[in-house]
Amino acid sequence: MGNPRVAFFDFSSCEGCQLQVANMGEDLLAVLGAIDVVEFREVMSEKGEYDVAVIEGSITTSHDVERIKKIRAKAKVLIAYGSCATTGGVNGMKNNFELDDIRNYVYQKAAKYFETIPTRAVHQVVPVDYSVNGCPVYLPEFVKVLKCALAGIPYKVPDHAVCVECKLNENECMYDKGLTCLGPVTKAGCNSWCVNNNNVCYGCRGMVTNPAENGAKDILAKHDIPIEWVENKMNMYNKAREFDKKEEDHGKKC
Amino acid sequence: MSANSVLESPYVVKAGKILRAKQLTGLEKYFEIELPGREDLGHEPGQFVMISVPGAGEVPISVSSSPWKKGAFELVIRRAGGVTSALHQLGAGDVVGIRGPYGRGFPTRVLEGKNLLMIGGGCGTIPLRSLITYVLDNRDRFGEVNILVGYKSPEMILFKDEFDAWGQKRDVFTDMTVDRVGPGWQGKVGLITKLISPLQIDPQKTYAVVVGPPIMYKFVIQELLKKKIPEDQIIVSMERHMKCGVGKCGHCQIAQYYCCQDGPVFTFKEIRNFYEAI
Amino acid sequence: MESFYVLKKSDLDRFIRQLSRSRKVVAPVSRGVKNFVFAEVTSAAQISIQSIPTILPPKKYFMPQCEKIQEFNREIHQWNPVVEANGEVVLFGVHTCDLAGIQFLNTVMDVVPRDVNYAVHKQKIVVIGLECNDYCDEYASCRVMKNHLPNGGYDLFLTELKDVFMVHGGSAAGEKIVKEAGIFLKPDAAHKKELEDIRKKKEMIFKDEVNVKREDLRGVFERSVQSDVWENLGGRCVACGNCTNVCPTCYCFDIKDELDLNLKTGCRTRIWDSCQNEEFAKVAGGESFRHNRGQRQRHRFMRKFTYPVGKFSVYACTGCGRCSRTCMAKINLKETINELAGAVK
Repeated sequence: MGNPRVAFFDFSSCEGCQLQVANMGEDLLAVLGAIDVVEFREVMSEKGEYDVAVIEGSITTSHDVERIKKIRAKAKVLIAYGSCATTGGVNGMKNNFELDDIRNYVYQKAAKYFETIPTRAVHQVVPVDYSVNGCPVYLPEFVKVLKCALAGIPYKVPDHAVCVECKLNENECMYDKGLTCLGPVTKAGCNSWCVNNNNVCYGCRGMVTNPAENGAKDILAKHDIPIEWVENKMNMYNKAREFDKKEEDHGKKC
Repeated sequence: MSANSVLESPYVVKAGKILRAKQLTGLEKYFEIELPGREDLGHEPGQFVMISVPGAGEVPISVSSSPWKKGAFELVIRRAGGVTSALHQLGAGDVVGIRGPYGRGFPTRVLEGKNLLMIGGGCGTIPLRSLITYVLDNRDRFGEVNILVGYKSPEMILFKDEFDAWGQKRDVFTDMTVDRVGPGWQGKVGLITKLISPLQIDPQKTYAVVVGPPIMYKFVIQELLKKKIPEDQIIVSMERHMKCGVGKCGHCQIAQYYCCQDGPVFTFKEIRNFYEAI
Repeated sequence: MESFYVLKKSDLDRFIRQLSRSRKVVAPVSRGVKNFVFAEVTSAAQISIQSIPTILPPKKYFMPQCEKIQEFNREIHQWNPVVEANGEVVLFGVHTCDLAGIQFLNTVMDVVPRDVNYAVHKQKIVVIGLECNDYCDEYASCRVMKNHLPNGGYDLFLTELKDVFMVHGGSAAGEKIVKEAGIFLKPDAAHKKELEDIRKKKEMIFKDEVNVKREDLRGVFERSVQSDVWENLGGRCVACGNCTNVCPTCYCFDIKDELDLNLKTGCRTRIWDSCQNEEFAKVAGGESFRHNRGQRQRHRFMRKFTYPVGKFSVYACTGCGRCSRTCMAKINLKETINELAGAVK
């Protein structure tokens, strides 16, 4: 039996996550020993059959919907990676506007040639087996998930705050430095990558499923941070989350 | 060997070979497991083991077989999370990691000579089966034996053949109900509490053993108290998240109790006053 | 005979340099504006002698944040327990609150079945305590927990006097270090008088920080199970887990497996976990027994002030103040105790 055939596909995204994977160096070589890459736009272009589909990017056109459904039907395992694919990512900011307005703004005279639908994460369109959140993906987590997928072992994105990992890394809290950080409401799993490197958390991994919104507002008020400002910051990566909320409500009724 | 030999680690795992595996329902799968050298697990009814699939992790699972079964033991595992999903992919010949048995099981010594009312709801019948088979193997040591089980729907019924065989015995009373009917279902329909009220029992001589989902405890215990069964004669088994099984990791704590060591079996009297318990 | 020594302040650097030649020496060092961490040092200049409690307590050396406990091979069905033991470590500058924390963890981890990983790490650690002559900041409540004075748990214990450190030997390992160093002197009567004066002065400085006596704390919490205070904390808490991660007596952990790239071998690790996290008390079916944040906060406090008293006859709060200092929502332990006490009266 040969290695599992893995194909990388991209939808609406910057392809930065693929670039991360291409930049892996030695780890990439080790991963490649365990898999056969059959489609990978950033490093090659070979089409064919595949067992594992790794999806980057969010679903933003009806053509995307058809394409992702086809991929899902063909793949035994589907991995969504990067913020765009797992939470809608920055593409979700489009959902703040009327679709026609935003289409005209971006494409101007050519707008009529570009149909568009509200941005969705992959799991909001087809079932996803594994998710690697983050913008870009945190490579150690990506490798961990790939190993799980190849071994048929489930992986669950942590549902606690980035603060947990940040504290274990003994970083000086950004709030102690007078900065606003989305760590307290953002899903962990990145080993507080940004804060380790002196940057605040932008919430790229998506919000924890049960965020303490009142508590969070309290904190911001205490630090004299305007709520709208933080809401904008939270919406940067989390706008498409609204589709999850609707599904949850629907689930409760059943 | 030093005083702190790593081999003394409480996390040492033995290889357990799966002898037989069988899908019982859409969610539950049966496993018969043998330890190296056919060593007995040495458990008491109501105790649990930590079972691991290397790479996926480790979970606590109640032992379902009687301690009298020699050379192997039985688990019935509901597919609910990552590790149990990985376990469901395994079959005869595969090997899992086993440590234990752990916890305080059903107080079999105390139960001897008493009338028993054993009530199982859903997958609660899995650990209860360990006690039922133990009691039936030693039938003369116990008074009246009543077994009541309830399931959500007919497809969820576990150990149907065994249940029927228990009911065939002269000195055992069994009854079963489902919450929702299914195709071809001829039996009773309704909540398990309905099976309790018609029973004629001597409350002072009766011990009730209840195992089921959290929601079931509230209503069943109310019914038992109405029957005047004393609080320390109502015995329950609690389900909690566990990681270590040896009273360290903190996940299974109910007030001051560690479910993995002080439980999972408690009397209602012990836990009655504990918020978060039921 | 009590074994007291003095170490000249001017000799501290020599002492640290000597120690660090043969062992790893860790001590509080500055991190950022307001924070300190235990980190490796090779000279006295790197050490922050006057520091508030470090972000993480020294428990990270006894029970690392993430620790391998087992290696396995899926193909040949082998599981081997492991302890990744380091060489000898000297913890320098451990405050009395943290000494109490270490003693608590020693007790808990020694309960049968003993935690072998913890025991192995502990065997290799030498603890050198350092007395606080004054409060570190307003968050501490060490007096009410009776941890403002040394209560053992050290190999050596230093108290800063005017020109010297008074040093108390607490174990054979401590005495060995004194002997090896060859720079410790015998104290004279003036030194002893100076130490007495400091202790007397401390009795003036350190006063019970809450409106409850130590012996009544358990009762206050036991009578507060249904208190509204928990709901209030629940509304403010964001469940970031900071309070438990920085606590010197929190020891809850998660256990996780990870495969190597060959998908055959791998290891099992234990990682610090927090009862404040959403997933902590959730069973596989999805039901959580402490679903709301107020219940989780109550659980945290009960694990400090009631449960361990029943089990080990000791409070698990050391009074270090870390949980209040680090809380995103400014949930304050002293305030919480006072609110509860006010309500149950």
